[in-house]
Amino acid sequence: MADCFYEVLSPWAEADPVPFRGISPRVDSLDGKKIGLLRNSKRAAQPTLQVVEERLKERFPAAEFSWFSNLKPNETAIEQGRKDEFEDWLKGVDAVIAAFGD
Amino acid sequence: MYDVINVEERAKPTVTLTNMGFANDAESASRSKGVPVLRVVPTAVPCEASIMEDIEAGVDGALDAIIAALTRPLTAEEKSPKPGEPEKPARIIFKGNLEEVNRFFYQRGWTDGLPIIPPTEAAVAEMLTGTDLPPDHLLGKLQSRNGKATIEKIAINAVMAGCLPTYLPVLIAGTINLLESEPGFMGYTTFGFSTGSWAPFWIINGPIRNQIHVNNSSGAFSPGNIANAAIGRAMGLIIKNIGGVRKGIEDMGVMGNPMKYSMVIAENEEESPWEPLHVEHGYKKEDSTISLSFPQTYLQHWPYSADAKGILNAIVDNAPRSMRYTCILTPTHAKNLAREGYSKEDLKKYVAENKLVPLSRVMAAGMGGPRPPGAAPGPMPGKGTEMVPLIRDFRFIRVIVGGGPGAFIAHIVGGGATPGKKEIQKIDLPKNWDKLVAKYKNVVPTYAKY
Repeated sequence: MADCFYEVLSPWAEADPVPFRGISPRVDSLDGKKIGLLRNSKRAAQPTLQVVEERLKERFPAAEFSWFSNLKPNETAIEQGRKDEFEDWLKGVDAVIAAFGD
Repeated sequence: MYDVINVEERAKPTVTLTNMGFANDAESASRSKGVPVLRVVPTAVPCEASIMEDIEAGVDGALDAIIAALTRPLTAEEKSPKPGEPEKPARIIFKGNLEEVNRFFYQRGWTDGLPIIPPTEAAVAEMLTGTDLPPDHLLGKLQSRNGKATIEKIAINAVMAGCLPTYLPVLIAGTINLLESEPGFMGYTTFGFSTGSWAPFWIINGPIRNQIHVNNSSGAFSPGNIANAAIGRAMGLIIKNIGGVRKGIEDMGVMGNPMKYSMVIAENEEESPWEPLHVEHGYKKEDSTISLSFPQTYLQHWPYSADAKGILNAIVDNAPRSMRYTCILTPTHAKNLAREGYSKEDLKKYVAENKLVPLSRVMAAGMGGPRPPGAAPGPMPGKGTEMVPLIRDFRFIRVIVGGGPGAFIAHIVGGGATPGKKEIQKIDLPKNWDKLVAKYKNVVPTYAKY
C-alpha cells in the first residue's frame, strides 16, 4: 500500500520576544560590603544561606549581612504589597545572594 | 526567582543558588522575565535539604563561584543582551508519511509520547467548525513562554490529540480557564510547573456532557472514551506547545503524574440528588462549564456502611492532607446521604470539622516555616499533641456525583484555586452546534458480545 503524505501545521505557538535587559554592575570585592541574603519558604533555603553567611564571614570579616524572607510561594514580595519593605531592605545592601531551596 | 529580578532592576548585583537539576529551569524562568543573563550558581545542595553536612558540602563547593558571580565584571552580553527574535514557526512545518510526521513531532518535543493524528490543513479546518471564532482570534498569552493562544493553535493541538470538533468549545473554555487562573501560589503558574507534579483535572457540567459523550459513569477515568481521553490530552498539549511547559525544564515535577495524560470527568447530574457543581458556582443548569483544579493524588476506598455515618466517617478517615479536595460519590451514596438530610455543603462541613490530626503533624508537613492553617507566626503552641482540623475551610472541598455501579468513593486531592477565585469557565457554543452534535453523535464505542 502506498504511503499517505501529510502536510502538517505547527502546534508550537508564536511568541513575541520579551525585551531583554542586562544585569547590574558587580561590586569590586565583598570585603566590607553589606550582603543581602534572600530566601524563600523551601526547607533548604535558610540553612544554605546560613552556611553561606558563615563562610563569607570567615573570608571577609568586615562584611555585614542582612536577611529578607519571602515565605509566600510564587509571589514576589512586591506582588504581596511588600514593596516598601523590600526596597528599604535593598537600600541597605550592596549585593544580594538568593537561595530558593531547590 | 522573580524577587531576584526585582533586585537586579533596582541596581543591585545578585547571585542565585540553585540545585544543579534546576539550572535549566532557572535559565528558562529568568529568560521568560526578560533577564536571560542572570548569574546563577548551580550547587550540590540537595533539593529541600535539611542535613547540614550536605548543605555545608554543597556551599563549600560553590563558594568561589558565588563570590565570583558578585565580583567578576560584566561581559558585554550581560550588560546588554542581544534582543530575542520573535518566534514565528512556519505554518506548514513538515511534510511526510504518518511515521515521519510522528517522529518529527516527537523529536521536536511537541507530543506526550503517544502517536498523534497529523494536523493537516483539512483536519484543522474541520476542527474549526467547532467554533464561530476566527482562527487568528487571540485568547491570550499562555505562560511560561507567553505563547499566543490563538484558536488555530488550539485546533491544531486538538487534532493531534484525536479530538472531535465538538470538543473545541470545551478546549477554548479550558484555555481561558488557564489564562485567567489565579495568579500566585494557588493557580496555574504554580501548579503547571511545580515539583509537586500537579495535573490539570477537568470537570465538565451542563448539557454538553451528554452531547459529546463525556463519561460520568463506569470507569470514567479509565481509557476507552474519546471525550475523556482526548480533551485532557489536548489540554496537556496546549500547555506544552502554547504555554511552553516542558518536562524537566519548566515542569519540574519530581515524580511526574499519569493524570497529566488526561483527567476528565463529567458530573452525573441526572442521578445526583444535589445541585451540580456549576450551579453551586452561580451558573444556570442549562449552561455548560468546565472546571479546573490541579490534583496530585487519586485514591479510592469503600464506605464503612451504606448509610450516612458509614460514608462520612470513611471519607473523613481517608481524606489526605491537601490544599483542594474533590470528593466523587456514586449516585447511590449521594442519594443515601441526601435521604438522611445531607446537602453537599453539609457533607463538606462534616469532613472539614471532623478531619482532625495532631498539630505536630500539620506543622511537620509544611515547607520552610510550617504553620497550621491560619496560625500566626511565632513559636509552636503547646506540644503539638492537640487535635486540629486538617482542612482549613469547608469551601476547599468540592463534591460531585459520578462513577458507576459499586461502592467506591474517590478523592482527587492536591492544588487548585482559592475558593472564590477563578476555577470554572462557561463553554460557548457555535451557531451550528446542533448540526455538529448530530454529525458526531454516533462516534461511540459499540462492544461486540463474546
